Amino acid sequence: MAVTNQGMPPGTFPEGDQYLDFVRRRRRVGTFFRTLFFLATVLGIVILATLLLDVTNDTFGYVAVQNQVDPETVIDRYYKERMLSMPRTVTSEDDVVLAEGVAVRANAIGFFGYAYYQERTDTLRALALDGVEPTAENAASGQYFLARPLYIYTSERLLRQRPEVAAFVDFFLQNAAEVAQEAGYITPGEQDLAEGRRLWQETTGLTASPAANTLPADSVIRAAGSSTVQPITARVAERFKAETGFAGEVVVEGGGTLAGFRRLCRDQDIQIANASRAMERPDVNTCRGNKVEPLAFDIGTDAISVVVSQQNDFLPAGLTREQLRKIFIEAERWSDVDPSWPNKPILRFIPGADSGTLDYFVSQVYGDSLDDLPREDLLAILETNISAGRLRALNAERPVEERSTEEIYDLVIAEVIKPRVVESWSFTESLFRRAEIEAAVAEIPNASMEFRRWLTWEFIRSPQSSVPTLAGIRTAIFGSLWVTLIAFLVAVPLGVAAATYLEEYSKGTRLDGIIETNINNLAGVPSIIYGMLGLAVFVRFFGQITSGLAFGIGDPSTANGRTILSAGLTLGLLILPLVIINAREAIRAVPRALREAAYGLGATKWQTVRSHVLPYALPGILTGVILSVSRAFGETAPLIVVGVSTFIVIDPSGPFSKFTTLPAQIYQWVSRPQEEFQRIAAAAILVLLTLLLLVNATAIYLRNRFSRRY
Amino acid sequence: MAANPSPNGASADSKYAIEARNLNVFYGGFHAVKDINLKIERQKITALIGPSGCGKSTVLRAFNRMNDLIPVARTEGEVLFHGKNIYDPDVDAVEVRRRVGMVFQKPNPFPKSIYENIAWGARINGFKGNMDDLVEEALRGAALWDEVKDKLKESGYSLSGGQQQRLCIARAIAVKPEIILMDEPASALDPIATLRIEELMKDLVKNYTIIIVTHNMQQAARVSDYTAFFTVTPERTGYLEEFGPTKEIFTNPKSKITEDYITGRFG
Repeated sequence: MAVTNQGMPPGTFPEGDQYLDFVRRRRRVGTFFRTLFFLATVLGIVILATLLLDVTNDTFGYVAVQNQVDPETVIDRYYKERMLSMPRTVTSEDDVVLAEGVAVRANAIGFFGYAYYQERTDTLRALALDGVEPTAENAASGQYFLARPLYIYTSERLLRQRPEVAAFVDFFLQNAAEVAQEAGYITPGEQDLAEGRRLWQETTGLTASPAANTLPADSVIRAAGSSTVQPITARVAERFKAETGFAGEVVVEGGGTLAGFRRLCRDQDIQIANASRAMERPDVNTCRGNKVEPLAFDIGTDAISVVVSQQNDFLPAGLTREQLRKIFIEAERWSDVDPSWPNKPILRFIPGADSGTLDYFVSQVYGDSLDDLPREDLLAILETNISAGRLRALNAERPVEERSTEEIYDLVIAEVIKPRVVESWSFTESLFRRAEIEAAVAEIPNASMEFRRWLTWEFIRSPQSSVPTLAGIRTAIFGSLWVTLIAFLVAVPLGVAAATYLEEYSKGTRLDGIIETNINNLAGVPSIIYGMLGLAVFVRFFGQITSGLAFGIGDPSTANGRTILSAGLTLGLLILPLVIINAREAIRAVPRALREAAYGLGATKWQTVRSHVLPYALPGILTGVILSVSRAFGETAPLIVVGVSTFIVIDPSGPFSKFTTLPAQIYQWVSRPQEEFQRIAAAAILVLLTLLLLVNATAIYLRNRFSRRY
Repeated sequence: MAANPSPNGASADSKYAIEARNLNVFYGGFHAVKDINLKIERQKITALIGPSGCGKSTVLRAFNRMNDLIPVARTEGEVLFHGKNIYDPDVDAVEVRRRVGMVFQKPNPFPKSIYENIAWGARINGFKGNMDDLVEEALRGAALWDEVKDKLKESGYSLSGGQQQRLCIARAIAVKPEIILMDEPASALDPIATLRIEELMKDLVKNYTIIIVTHNMQQAARVSDYTAFFTVTPERTGYLEEFGPTKEIFTNPKSKITEDYITGRFG
């Protein structure tokens, strides 16, 4: 359309195509601003979404959980102590002592290495366990539950740097099968030996042992540890000297598996550790802590033989695991185990505390997992592993004897095992870098990988704790609700009243003007200043009142006035100007016609305000209240000044309680260096946002109900 | 004050319902209307006409002290109601407004139900009788009953503009005033609704004294018994130029300005 204007002098208005261009230009300006506003909106949404994503990302992900104490160690220690503290129990690291002790006593029972029994089959009788005979075949096939592999340990460095050690280990591996048979042990599997030889070759970089005449003549190879392995090592040592012409010394000592590990890794005065069990995490940790990388060589199998004297005529050919349990930790007399057995005391001959045989016996007979344990054992483990003071505290909460098995189990985990998250990863890391995380967790001693939701019901229900995995926000949620409630109760009635006065009653005097200016300025005062005010006025000056002492109901520990009441009043003052300003806006927006209609009917001012102005302004007032309460709910700085508790585990019981709030809690967690606290801070932020959303949604719902006008 | 004969000698049964004597109204320093002397006859419709800004609405609002609501407004002179100056310090504006009701330019029902719109005024004024009857009576008085009797619980805003204005009239008469002030009551309405309001006014005047401000001269000519013509001085101060029976003002105005205005030569 290119219409030319009629009757105007040319050039007054743009005409024709010129005008169309002009229109297009004007539209382009409009499009530009529309795009600008759209981008602003998108940017806002993106920022908000990023915030949420970031917080959520921190709230889920893999963690490396490390037990402070290895559960197996706790269990072993517990049962070992029980076994060792039974009356009429003889302990020795020397299996010979045990074997001979049992042999001559009809009421005795004991257990030790298979070899020692093999040497004394004329005086000793081995018992079948769960119906399985302790024969070489049953042990090798794994049917006999007390069969276990035997090892020698050395270190990577020794194997590389000490040719005589390398030569000895190599010789050991080549002759292990023969020697085991000679010594009455069950011969090691061909495969295990081959594995050992491969490890040897990889470590030393050699294919065959160095010739014996190249070995230093003055060197001493010292071996110590398990008395079960000792005879094998001793025989190998003799043959090593005899067959290779090794000019140095080979000394073989006992002491128990654990002692052997210690000497290899900590004292470093032996080169070979004899072991009747594999190293476990704590042992490996000890070694690595001393910069020793242990190497294990499987050199045979031992079956622990449970034996009685040939003189014993009442025991059947075998025992069940249950009977075995009773014999070594409960029963005083044989008749306690089985009424048909004689009422005679049980004499026990068991290996000593450092013995790998005892450890192995305990783990096989008594279990090595906490959830297998009976209630009374869990209870005993709890009581023996925590301090007397802590036990008193727990009993004060609720006597532990009265708690359920599950609760006791949880207590053992929390108080004794103390699983600790030592490292954690975000959700995106967990999704895309799983392999790296797995590798990292493997690096951490004693740690396992778990997927963890940091935001759990447990987290919401638990009180604060110094351990991030146990910490929760219950106290903080209650604190926030209390403080916000008090702020609400203070600010809303006062604020609406003040706004009504200023809008409806104020005569515009000088004083009113000063008040009005003040309120507008107060809304812009930094919140920390309100904190200072609260500290000076509510905490210090009115401390007697805000701590409740004036009413005789305060708790002496909160006598300093750092209470919910002080905090609530402070936040109340903080949001008062906001409430007033918003309420004034709302009241001002009430149409004059509505007021005039009421006055025209002969209404007084109060009737007009009460029946028409306030109801009409209510939605607007509520909008202000929602904003203000949200502000109070999220406020942190003034509370820190007023004195939020840094660590509190007791829920607030009223306005005179100590308190913490969600934002304050988040602030404290965020300011800690450990990553785990960042995770729970993120979880708490999610809770805070959700609560804010809930509070606001409720308020908006109420507002919409109120504002459903005619 | 209302029922007692005043010491000035004017009594309740005097011919005049309300009277302005030397009425001056100022908005801050601005002299809005000056020296108004006006006697409003009982049970008649008096129309206040004049060009924009001539102060006719100000005068109307002076009759029930609505100007008091404007903080800067100041009134001098007297408005006699039952022989008593309503601006005397011992007179409460609330009572005046109850006796001198008002209907505004734009329909302004309360954001409440139709029933409540009428009942509220009665209730705050201490009405003790049967509220349902009063509501019905007021609605019938405002010729609205038949249209709303089935939806009394509905919002006053659900009605059409004309109905809303009649609801406002019903609301005003529910508190039993003597005088009803109407400030351009039909200016926001279509011609048919306007006609109904005019018919209603003729009906109401049997029981009430009505003062109406209007811009519509045909309306003034159609409905009013008396007409007051206001105009302004060069300083924009309003004053009463001429007052008399409507017929005379429209057919035989004494003043040249009135004639010019009536005939459409200015305004």
